[in-house]
Amino acid sequence: MERVSFIKNSLAALGVAFVAPLANACKKDSNDTGSSSGGEVTNPGTGSTDCVVAPTETEGPFPTKSPSSYVRSDITDGRTGYKMTATITIGKVSNGCAALANAIVDIWHCDKEGNYSEYGGTGMQSTNYTGVHFLRGRQTTDSNGQVKFTSIFPGWYQGRATHIHVHVYDASGNSLKVTQIAFPEGTGSAVAVVNGYSKGLSGYTYNKNDNVFSDDTAGTEIATVTGNTTDGFTLAIKLNVP
Amino acid sequence: MTASTTITLSYRKIIDAQSDKPWEKMVFEDSFTEFRMQAQSFDPLKQHRTFAELVQQVHGAAALHFLVSASVTGYLRQLGGRVPDVTDNLGKLFLRFENFRFEIIQSDRATIQQHRVAINFYSRPLYWLDTIHDYLLLSDPESAPTGDDSVPAILYRLSPFVSIHAIKKVLHEK
Repeated sequence: MERVSFIKNSLAALGVAFVAPLANACKKDSNDTGSSSGGEVTNPGTGSTDCVVAPTETEGPFPTKSPSSYVRSDITDGRTGYKMTATITIGKVSNGCAALANAIVDIWHCDKEGNYSEYGGTGMQSTNYTGVHFLRGRQTTDSNGQVKFTSIFPGWYQGRATHIHVHVYDASGNSLKVTQIAFPEGTGSAVAVVNGYSKGLSGYTYNKNDNVFSDDTAGTEIATVTGNTTDGFTLAIKLNVP
Repeated sequence: MTASTTITLSYRKIIDAQSDKPWEKMVFEDSFTEFRMQAQSFDPLKQHRTFAELVQQVHGAAALHFLVSASVTGYLRQLGGRVPDVTDNLGKLFLRFENFRFEIIQSDRATIQQHRVAINFYSRPLYWLDTIHDYLLLSDPESAPTGDDSVPAILYRLSPFVSIHAIKKVLHEK
């Protein structure tokens, strides 16, 4: 009750103080439709046409073209885990699988707990703009068709084997291939050595039961992964696009 | 005990084909390019032209708000933590931000003219000390007191697309 009456009183006070001076102050605007609008916004653009003091600061610093924040080779953004260096080579099937230069390669994967970077919750929850796109990156292939990323060894989540998402585009941003990289499994494999970080591998989905990788009987989606938990892991794979 | 009130202001900056400042144009063009790229993950056969159709027809396509936001964070960094456009009664920018939310209002991969996005800036908390006519009397909790122990004040009138996003009562030991 107290709060409502406070707001009501404030608004009433505002109304009186508001309409009278504005009606005169805004009259010289040629597109002013009269004082009856009482300072109502008639042009709701983001450039303010409201009756406020104009900016009195010099503009600047002058903006410069900035690439998407995906464009970096180290995509860790402070996420902890075993270091992983990934080298992905893109080949072109229609050119005898020769290296494809100037292709744009996006990768993304989950952190050691199995979470992706994304907006949390629903609605208008705000996010700090630094580090919000963790474990997502973009590189352009060199003359050998290669891109390199530094990241962490991915964790896993219910229903999926360990994987990295890849989207390959041509230089103009047209999609050439959306695919995923699978990891070798079994005794001595990186998946076994990392052992799901603190989660273990109880309930883990192996490649043969994974709804994405189970049809890959030839293993063309499985990367070569070497290394150890002290020095980190090295992943390499060649992906051919149409 | 005494109580004071802090508020967080939000400013929803809309950017579309009519935006004409260099920063806005870069955000407009780069977010459109990123939208066209990212939309292909959800619609490889290019069956849906518009953002609205994608969100309605393809499960998970609402993630495009987040995925496309990476195209603007470099521009946010260039603002140096200052919310653009919103000025106090002296005409000075006064809001500081670290938090944002990017949204795609509408888009059509076939034509950039239909592309429309918004960046929501969320200010750091400010003390709301009083309301004088239609002005809010504010002060920044982080601004240093002046020599005589007084606190620098800010006089601000709510402008279009600015709202009070959150409000908090803070109790102080006397």
